[in-house]
Amino acid sequence: MPELMAVALARLVRDGEVACHGVNSLLPSLALALARRLHAPRLRHVSIGGGLDGTPGTIPRSSSGPAWLTGSPVVLSNVDVYQLALRGRIDVMLLGCVQVDGRGRVNSTVIGDFARPRVRLPGGGGAAVLFQVVRRVIVYRTRHDQASLVPAVDFVTATGNLDRLVTPLGVFRATPAGLRLEALQPGATLAEVTRRTGFTVEPLPELATLAPPTPAELAALEALDPDRLRDLDFR
Amino acid sequence: MTGLRAASLGVPFEPVPGFRDTNLPATADFRTVKDPWTGEEIYVVPALRPRWAILHVQEADAAGNARIFGSPGYDVLMAQAADEVILTVERIIPSSELARMPELTRISELSVAAVVEVPGGARPGDCAGCYDIDEAGVRRYLDAAGTREGLRTYLESTP
Repeated sequence: MPELMAVALARLVRDGEVACHGVNSLLPSLALALARRLHAPRLRHVSIGGGLDGTPGTIPRSSSGPAWLTGSPVVLSNVDVYQLALRGRIDVMLLGCVQVDGRGRVNSTVIGDFARPRVRLPGGGGAAVLFQVVRRVIVYRTRHDQASLVPAVDFVTATGNLDRLVTPLGVFRATPAGLRLEALQPGATLAEVTRRTGFTVEPLPELATLAPPTPAELAALEALDPDRLRDLDFR
Repeated sequence: MTGLRAASLGVPFEPVPGFRDTNLPATADFRTVKDPWTGEEIYVVPALRPRWAILHVQEADAAGNARIFGSPGYDVLMAQAADEVILTVERIIPSSELARMPELTRISELSVAAVVEVPGGARPGDCAGCYDIDEAGVRRYLDAAGTREGLRTYLESTP
């Protein structure tokens, strides 16, 4: 499953784009490194730890630590990264979340009422702004269930330029009318996605199944992450 | 970041794009103003002016001129926004050494109130070029910090 998610995320970023991700973003950092090895060698990878196109060899557990500075020609402060985004210089951002709804709104702030939350979450870390200044936002959730994909998020942390939602079961595309199921992960069925989604699943007419990870993609994943740190997000 | 930047500029608030149709402004009392030229609404964030900023850096002289290696994060901005800055430092170095490459100095003594030499001061976090994050140490802290008593014991027993 981590392979399916990493590969699906990697395929969504395009050669030549400037991409960024936040803290605690092992899967996005792996996906960007994977894309740079395969179809997107000119993808620019801005790590929130300050690296540009960092080459740590194998990916570090911390996506915000100094390991991503290896090979970088510059050290960007967090302020620098935000200002790049505010100035429109970030094309695509990969971002995790806890809840997402059918309108493409994301919650990473609280479960329950804001004043008396059942669970207080880490917070958006700038997502409320980044969602509206970064051209494309690709959101992922490592669990696909009715608690995560909900009819309406408990709290709107961020909304705006959502492009895709990637889960272990499929890929939704954001349209003006809301999220639409664009593709199924290999092995998933429309019935299963419908059953495990809290909002009404509306497939696009061209609904397809993603090609399974290729041998080249799997080999690159192994090379980048031989210790399978990617499994940590799926425990 | 926007609130700190407003403080660093000595202005009461700063406009920032985004936040539209989210629930965050209501929780933090962010409001909108009209752009006086275009009439467009934009959110403004009130200045966030810390009384103190306590920053850990790799190298500084005794006066408070500091080098930061690795990502400076928000450190420079925090130093600019706070009333007073306390630096904790892996190693204090002579001013003459800073003067050889002054462009590496990111925080100047003009905004620093005190400098304390604290090798390992960022542990169990990381400090670029000095040590990596100590996962077991973070776990020990989290386990201890759940209760007041646990936190006290942790602080007393941690060098």
